Formats: sequence, structure tokens, C-alpha cells
Amino acid sequence: MSRLERFTYFERVVHWTLGLSFLYLLMTGLAFSHPRLFWITVLSGGGQTARFLHPWIGMLFSVSLGSMFFIWAKDMRLESNDREWLMAVRAYATRQKDGVPPAGKYNAGQKLFFWAMTVLGVVHLASGIPLWMPAGVLGIGPFYGGTVNTMRLLHYATTLGGGGLLIVHVYLGTVAYPGTLGAMLHGRVSRGWARLHHPRWEKEQAGD
Amino acid sequence: MPQLPGSSLAVKRISASPDPAPSIRTAGPEFAKLIDISRCIGCKGCEVACKEWNELKIEPTRNFGSFQSHQDLSADTWLLMRFTEIEVDGDLQWLIKKDACMHCEEPGCLYACPAPGAIVQYENGIVDFNPDKCIGCQLCISGCPFDVPRFSAETHKVYKCNMCVDRVEVGLEPACVKTCPTNAITWGTKDDMVALAEQKVDRLKDRGFENATLYDPAGVGGTHMMYVVPHGDRLVDYDLPEDPTAAPGALAALAGLKQLGMGVMGLGLLGTALHYLKYGPEVADEEASDPASPEPGSGPDAENT
Ligand code: HEM
Ligand code: HEM
Ligand code: SF4
Repeated sequence: MSRLERFTYFERVVHWTLGLSFLYLLMTGLAFSHPRLFWITVLSGGGQTARFLHPWIGMLFSVSLGSMFFIWAKDMRLESNDREWLMAVRAYATRQKDGVPPAGKYNAGQKLFFWAMTVLGVVHLASGIPLWMPAGVLGIGPFYGGTVNTMRLLHYATTLGGGGLLIVHVYLGTVAYPGTLGAMLHGRVSRGWARLHHPRWEKEQAGD
Repeated sequence: MPQLPGSSLAVKRISASPDPAPSIRTAGPEFAKLIDISRCIGCKGCEVACKEWNELKIEPTRNFGSFQSHQDLSADTWLLMRFTEIEVDGDLQWLIKKDACMHCEEPGCLYACPAPGAIVQYENGIVDFNPDKCIGCQLCISGCPFDVPRFSAETHKVYKCNMCVDRVEVGLEPACVKTCPTNAITWGTKDDMVALAEQKVDRLKDRGFENATLYDPAGVGGTHMMYVVPHGDRLVDYDLPEDPTAAPGALAALAGLKQLGMGVMGLGLLGTALHYLKYGPEVADEEASDPASPEPGSGPDAENT
């Protein structure tokens, strides 16, 4: 049986470091911002521990975000074909595959998701640091007062964007498209999966 | 000092609590502390009394060219008499501010706090921090329009004046009030203190302080520590914000966005669930071979995760 390698070991390690750290930040962040969800901090050792860990996991998130950017940015460049794909996103969502231009290794939606998460991640980091060290860091600051309050707004708005996108990403990566999660777990996909979701990429791999 | 009623510690507001105010007891007295700056002689007895009653650590200090004892409030210094020397109409004026928590009716600290129960406000007007519940995020410092709470690097929690809540509860006045030798600090029900303040303001006006005023800012719903300010036109020089607010624009917007937030997440989850119910999983057909690249031997894939 023919299997195609989709993600290397390194790519998978980077992706899951990113994915799990993001999930942790999302859960504890929502606990800090919604009193009814504060109980989530108990899963992380209590409020003070969660508040201590959140920014450090944020550092792990930022490092993995940077790594993901370097290994994937070149594959994520938008091409003219992506425009047509985006025009056909309705057909894509309603499974009318005929109307959707064939995708390469990543379709335009995945590419935009990559860019959106990169930008949102940078904003998360930039707004998170004044919240982390409001008394100032590296000679900049203090941030108490207006700066912290504005950064809270920005940090939370970014979370809403990222959280919303993540729901769609996880849905498509797991239950919607069987075989996709495997790509990120053990790295390989079947020929049929590749032909269905990424036909142009599948053709490029024909020689394997 | 007239005998004061004790005050039950009925809770009016709790930080980060979505539930309504828990108290059903609303008849209790609401207290206020009134500072008559014009009567303060700068002895700092109140600072000492505060340290003593609350058993706060002594902080070594040094002469930095001011009458002031310390440069700033700290986790161990909840009360600081601030001294500002300025010239008013050619005269040297010594402006004094009793810097400590104002015990706002609308406490910005409490609204900014993400930890349930870390900040409470009692029916008697006192805003109290509960270090047991504090997670050390310091967001209250940014929520406070008076820059009062201070972070302790030792315990990673935040502290401030608690209006000697343990004294007030049993009918005593706060320690600073008790100790003040000139009666510059008075204590009583909020109504009585406002009435007293109005008399004091009138007397100051008679003495030629035509801008004398009561500082009980409406932007935070009034405070339970109020000032009689002789130079009411110079609040900034006293380091008293002209128009403090418990809900700065960014935090008001954040509160609004949070209402939206759960909706966005909820609709996202609902949307994907409905999509799945309608379209189900999109399973790859391993048999159908693309004529362009026929694939011998590719059977149904067992790897349908
Ligand atoms: C990248 C580095 C990050 C740093 C340094 C950081 C740091 C912080 C800090 C210090 C706070 C204040 C917590 C509190 O005091 O209650 C905070 C709040 C929060 N964080 Fe992060 N964070 C980061 C990334 C993220 C990410 C990726 C997410 C979402 C997935 C996130 C979601 C949140 C949320 C929702 C809040 C609550 C905001 C509020 O209500 O004010 N953070 N973050
Ligand atoms: C924690 C839950 C997550 C799961 C279950 C998950 C799952 C997956 C899967 C299965 C793939 C492979 C898609 C393919 O082969 O085409 C993938 C790719 C990817 N993931 Fe995730 N992921 C998660 C979280 C994240 C997070 C938090 C980010 C970014 C901040 C992220 C960014 C990406 C990117 C950029 C790709 C490649 C492009 C794409 O498929 O959209 N993932 N993910
Ligand atoms: S002065 Fe600051 S710390 Fe005191 S109640 Fe008002 S907002 Fe809270």
C-alpha cells in the first residue's frame, strides 16, 4: 500500500508543541477572562500557578510559532491559484468538489490560517509581555494603568480570533477529514486522501 | 468620639463573580473617613498607627529632600503622607495628601480583578483584598484610578489599606483616625461625613480659600475616604485625579467584547457540529483512480483516523 510522507518528525514535534501550548493558553486565558470558567485553573494547579505558568507556556508557544514560521513560510506563499480557491470556498465548504480548483500541498484556506495564526501569535506575545511584567522589563515600562488595560483588550480580542479559527482548524483536521490527524501524528497519508484533498501535491509525489 | 455602631461584614461585591451581590442585609451603616487637609500638621502619626495596628514591616528609608517619610506606597506601607511644595499666588504652599486606598463605591480594582473573591466590598463601603484568593496578576493596580495597590515580590500578591476593617467591624474607628492629634481625620457614617465636610468647606471659604471643595469624585461613585481640599482648583498638584473612573475605555470595551466572546466560541462550536451533522466525514475513496496517475494496489485505507 502506498503511503505518502506529509510531515517530517521535526514538523510534527513543532506543530504539537505549538498546538498543545496554544490549547493550554486558550484554556487558562479563558479562565482568567470569564469568571464562570475560572475553575479551569484548578486543572493547572490553581489560580496562582496558572497565572505563573501562562506566560511561560506563552514563551514555549512563541518559540514554536517562530519555528513553524521558518519551516513552513515558503510553502505557504499565496499563488494565483489560491485566489480562485478562495472564490470557491462556498463550494469547498458544501463539499461540491467539482467547483474547487485543485490544491497543492496546502489549500488557500490552510495558507491563510497559517498567516492569521502567525500574526495573531505575534500580537499575543507583544500584548502578553506588559501583562506579564507590568512593572517593566529591559528598561521599558512600567506599563501599569492605560497600557495594561489596552493590552488586555488587545490580548483578548486576539484570543477570540485565534480561538475561533482553532475550532475550524481542529474540526477539519480531525472528524471532518478522516486521515488528516494521522498526517500530523505519524506523518503519513494515503494516496486516496492526497488525491481528494491535495491533488496537485499528490501528482508531484507520483514518483515516490 | 461618639459611640459608633459595629458593622456586620455583609458583602456587597465580589471580584470575578458572575453571581448577583450576595448580601440581603442593606440596612447597615455606610462609613466614610474624612481628611481635612487644612488641619493636617504633617506629623505622620497616622502612618505609624497604620503600621502598628496592621503589623506591617518597618521599611528603612532615607532623606531624599522632602518631609515625606517614604518615596512611595508599598506592600508594607499602606498609608503615605505625600508632601508637595508649590507656589500659589506668590506664597509657598505645602500641599499634603494622605495617600491610601480611597475605598471607592465603584472600585476599579475589583472590576479589573480576574480572581473570584480576591477583592470584596462590604456593605459598609470598605474594599478589602483577600490575599488567600489573589493570583498575583496585578491587574487591580491598572484598574485603580488612584494607583494604590502594591505588589509584593515576596508573596507575589497585592496589598493595600483595608480601612482597619477588623476595627470597624466592632465599632472602632480606623487606627489613623484614632491617633490623629488635630482631628484632621474624622470617621463616621458617609452622610454625616459629607455634612461635616460641607461645613468645613464653608468655613474655609470664609477664611479666603474660595476654591475649597470636597473631594468625593462621582466618576467612581463617590469614595469612602474623602478630602476637604483647600485649593480645589489645584487637584493635580495634590496628585488627586480630576475625573477618576472605575471603567476606563479599554476595560469597558473589554467587558463588552467578553459578552461577545463566548457567543463567538459557542457559535463556532455549534457551526462545526451542524456542519458535521449535515455533511459528515469526507472519506477518501482509495479505489477510484485518477486516470492521470493510476495507482496499482491502493486499497481501502484502514487509516481513517
Ligand atoms: C505569547 C505569549 C503570551 C504571554 C506572555 C501571555 C501573558 C498573559 C498574561 C500575563 C495575562 C494576564 C493574566 C491575568 O493576569 O489574569 C494573560 C491573559 C490572557 N491570556 Fe495570555 N499570554 C500569551 C499568549 C496567549 C495566547 C496564545 C492566548 C490564547 C490562546 C492567551 C490568552 C489569554 C487570555 C484570554 C487572557 C485574559 C485576558 C484578560 O481578560 O485580560 N494568551 N496572558
Ligand atoms: C490542538 C489542536 C490541533 C489539532 C488537532 C491540529 C491538527 C492539525 C492537523 C491534523 C494538521 C494537518 C493538516 C494537513 O495535513 O493538511 C494540522 C496542520 C496545521 N496546523 Fe494544526 N492542529 C491543532 C492546533 C494548531 C494550532 C494551535 C496551530 C497554530 C497556532 C496550528 C497550526 C497548523 C498549521 C499552520 C498547519 C498547516 C496548515 C493547515 O493544515 O492548516 N495547529 N493541524
Ligand atoms: S482607590 Fe484603588 S484600590 Fe482603593 S477601592 Fe478605589 S480602585 Fe480599589
